[in-house]
Amino acid sequence: MTDYRQDRSALPKPSGTYPPTEEMLAEPVPDEVQAAQAERLRAAWATPKGFRYWTAVNNSEVGKWYCLTALFFMLLAGVMALLIRAQLAVPESELISADRFNQLFTMHGSAMMFLFAVPMFEAISILLLPGMLGARDMPFPRLSAFGYWCFLIGGVFVIGSIFFDAAPRAGWFMYPPLATEDEGPGSDIWLLGLSFIEVASIAAAVELIVGTLKCRPPGMRVNIMPLYAWYVMVVGGMILFAFPPLIAGDFLFELERSFDWPFFDPERGGDPMLWQHLFWIFGHPEVYIVFLPSIAIAAMIIPTVARRPIVGYSWIVLSAVGTGFLSFGLWVHHMFTTGLPTISLGFFSAASEAVVIPTGVQIFAFLATLMVGRVKMTLPMLWIAGALAIFTMGGLTGVMLALAPFDFQAHDTYFVVAHLHYTLFGGMVFPVIAGVYYFFPFIQKKQLSERLGRWAFWLIFCGFNLTFLPMHLTGLWGMPRRIYTYPTGLGWDGLNLISTVGAFIIAAGFAVFVWDLVRPKHRQPQIKRNPWEAGTLEWTHDVPEEAWGIRSIPHVTSRYPLWDQPEMQARIDTGRYYLPDAAEGRRETLVTSVIDAEPIQVQRVTGPAWITQAAAAFTGGAFIFPTFHWYPPAIVCAVLAVCCIIYWLWTSTARVPEAPSKDAGLGLTLPTYASGHASVGWWAMWITMLGDATAFASLVFGFFFYWTSQDDFPPEGAMHAEPWLVGLAALGLAAAWALTVGARELNRRWMVGAARACLAVAPLAAAGGAAALMVSVLELEPETHVYPAVLWALAIWVTVHAGAGVIMQLYCLAGSVFGKLTPRYDADIWNVSLYWHFQVLAALVTCAVMGLAPGVL
Amino acid sequence: MTERKEQLEEIAEERASLMKITMGPLIWAIHFVICYGLAAVTCAKGWDIEMARVGLLVFSVGSLGAIIWVGWNSWRQWNPHETGDYFNSWGRAEDRHHFLGHAAFLLAIISFLGVVFTSLPLVMLGGCQ
Repeated sequence: MTDYRQDRSALPKPSGTYPPTEEMLAEPVPDEVQAAQAERLRAAWATPKGFRYWTAVNNSEVGKWYCLTALFFMLLAGVMALLIRAQLAVPESELISADRFNQLFTMHGSAMMFLFAVPMFEAISILLLPGMLGARDMPFPRLSAFGYWCFLIGGVFVIGSIFFDAAPRAGWFMYPPLATEDEGPGSDIWLLGLSFIEVASIAAAVELIVGTLKCRPPGMRVNIMPLYAWYVMVVGGMILFAFPPLIAGDFLFELERSFDWPFFDPERGGDPMLWQHLFWIFGHPEVYIVFLPSIAIAAMIIPTVARRPIVGYSWIVLSAVGTGFLSFGLWVHHMFTTGLPTISLGFFSAASEAVVIPTGVQIFAFLATLMVGRVKMTLPMLWIAGALAIFTMGGLTGVMLALAPFDFQAHDTYFVVAHLHYTLFGGMVFPVIAGVYYFFPFIQKKQLSERLGRWAFWLIFCGFNLTFLPMHLTGLWGMPRRIYTYPTGLGWDGLNLISTVGAFIIAAGFAVFVWDLVRPKHRQPQIKRNPWEAGTLEWTHDVPEEAWGIRSIPHVTSRYPLWDQPEMQARIDTGRYYLPDAAEGRRETLVTSVIDAEPIQVQRVTGPAWITQAAAAFTGGAFIFPTFHWYPPAIVCAVLAVCCIIYWLWTSTARVPEAPSKDAGLGLTLPTYASGHASVGWWAMWITMLGDATAFASLVFGFFFYWTSQDDFPPEGAMHAEPWLVGLAALGLAAAWALTVGARELNRRWMVGAARACLAVAPLAAAGGAAALMVSVLELEPETHVYPAVLWALAIWVTVHAGAGVIMQLYCLAGSVFGKLTPRYDADIWNVSLYWHFQVLAALVTCAVMGLAPGVL
Repeated sequence: MTERKEQLEEIAEERASLMKITMGPLIWAIHFVICYGLAAVTCAKGWDIEMARVGLLVFSVGSLGAIIWVGWNSWRQWNPHETGDYFNSWGRAEDRHHFLGHAAFLLAIISFLGVVFTSLPLVMLGGCQ
């Protein structure tokens, strides 16, 4: 595997001088060359004008839309919170009906989590990361755009339901049986709408991980990359393992809602606890998915205000990676009162306490940096200080709640509401606002108002504590969550009134903040380029704005290049570094190696297009129509979405380049094409499939969960999947895999005819295998018991994936016939083989579970 | 000279993977999943919880041993005694090499504590009810 590039002389290797010498860097670039280069770059990266502006895919545009959309959803969810507080201000209030109240708190939680917190991380990262890494753009700009449009469509659909009195109303975690048996489309809107958005989240995670691993500037080894990039990598990885269990859970849940398959119905062998497990395996890491990237903003601001490098860089990396891991061992602390064995509670209680250690380490590293630095109390730092104070308080109540006996008392009371708002405001809202103040000059090339910022801070900070500090007491005095009103005389009246007053003060603070954000700033003088005198690469940005991201991609040798490499700015601006030109008029960025960031390829990135919007709209249709049980239009949409995506991939990815290599500047010649693990596409496939495999593993977990939770699973006398058909399915799908890999190997040995023959037969084998699998369960009745239902679910999962695999095989076949896929330029088939590696594994596990488990269990 | 060569080889080796620094946390994760899974199945199926407890405690000791081994290796890779550099904040290959050792070492410590924490219920609680 490692030698394949060496024995294939066809693809050129990087050649020339690297790293660049000081003499090369010191040599000036003639003025007329500079001007001509800049002109060509400007043309290649021009943002579309007028109506076509919305076709833009550049990270700076998509990132801005993404942030503003997430902010808009946050404000809507905030208004819902105000309505909730208004209703609770006085006892026995009749302001809002119980049903409306249920919709409000469900939507408040769901929107804040799924439409604000997680998307905001993706939005900010898409906006900032390329700048911090000195990259022109993310590796897959159209994927970012696709993710954004999916998010917009899905978000409007989900949050819009509240205006039609049709919103979900079973709590943001949708526990069955309440949610499964709820009349009306509310639960379906939640399940399908948010599944759709989760797909977009995974797309963004893929983009961000590959961006961090492969698009760093030359020389930026892992030990000197900005801490923000470390956090992005950790959080991207967490999304891949946290979201898929929820997607698997949504899949089962929707099958129960739509077709009455009893996954969570105990009368027919199901178990509502499975949903709780799948939900919280997602739900708890999700808290850290929200927290870590926000605290990463603090890790960027603190060295700047302390005017020194961060203290304990390695310690912060430890804390990010350690928290990422430990956060997966906490989920049952949301389920302490469900009657699990004491010893199980003990494990999760212990892990919940252990996670405090890495979380605390980073806070101490921040404090140490501030202590030894010469702190300048800027506005962003004020918000960070507020964040640390509030988050620490939330952490302390977290330590209390992690103890099972305390949790038994406080569970489902306002104490928990207070705790989670302290962690999320301190861990997410405050640092993100700090980030907005800090990065606004980078994003908009304007400054926000110092005075309004301080007003907003004190209003939100005081309002927050006024709202949530009394809630600890309200909770300890026994007020349960999610009740729409309460009788007087229980001691809760005054506390609730205070909380309501506080909530409106927070709202006033947000009004000031949002006004500052959107007020016209035309008359503001041009800002300084590096207003905070920071040391990281994003502050080499162009003022006034240029769409090219960075004029030339620098060679980086320290953690704070702007502090340590004083000549860097001028050299970037004159185009002294890499890729100073766009000679072919194409958008390009540099791809470097994973650990040491050695330049390996010039990557062509995609430009403006409508096809991404069309793909997102049809994908939306495929998710949204089933909410109302309109299946024919959903199927039409799904087919059209696939067509759009194929068109998009065919016309703009892994195209045969006009020349095998090109001059990247500073005497370095780099290939323009890569396949296999040298290419960004391969990494994207690998990461996507890791997430997909996690979802599949969650389904298999479900199967064994039923086995542990029931005395007879599979039930006595139950029908099983037809064993010989299951065996046939395993054979067919394994053959499809072998033929795909065979086609790849034959193709790169120039045996193109044989490769095409393999690619022609492979889809037949895959289709035959999938058909055999479906026929093997055809006699089983999934409505009767959970055992046949879970077998059906597994069979459907494998069949749908085989279908996608068939499309990919045919895509490669077409590529080979029409000259897109050649023995030299074969990235597509490498990626498709990788897909099939994962699929053959899933298929064999499924067949083993279906065919062998009945005999073994 | 040979030592220098060996060191260069080692640097080349680790290019292949960032995953090395996650060895400690991975051991913690495997330990955690097995403890939780076995205890849950034992309680659900009414198997002998004492046996499971003892087995898991032995497994804990094994996991701690493995983490110590990872920690020791990464301490040597970090090697602050000989290099005198605790921070590795520059962009040379050696810096990256020592840094990955440092990060892996710190993660081994946190994983060690994690396994100790997870094992405490085995010692202190024991039963299913």
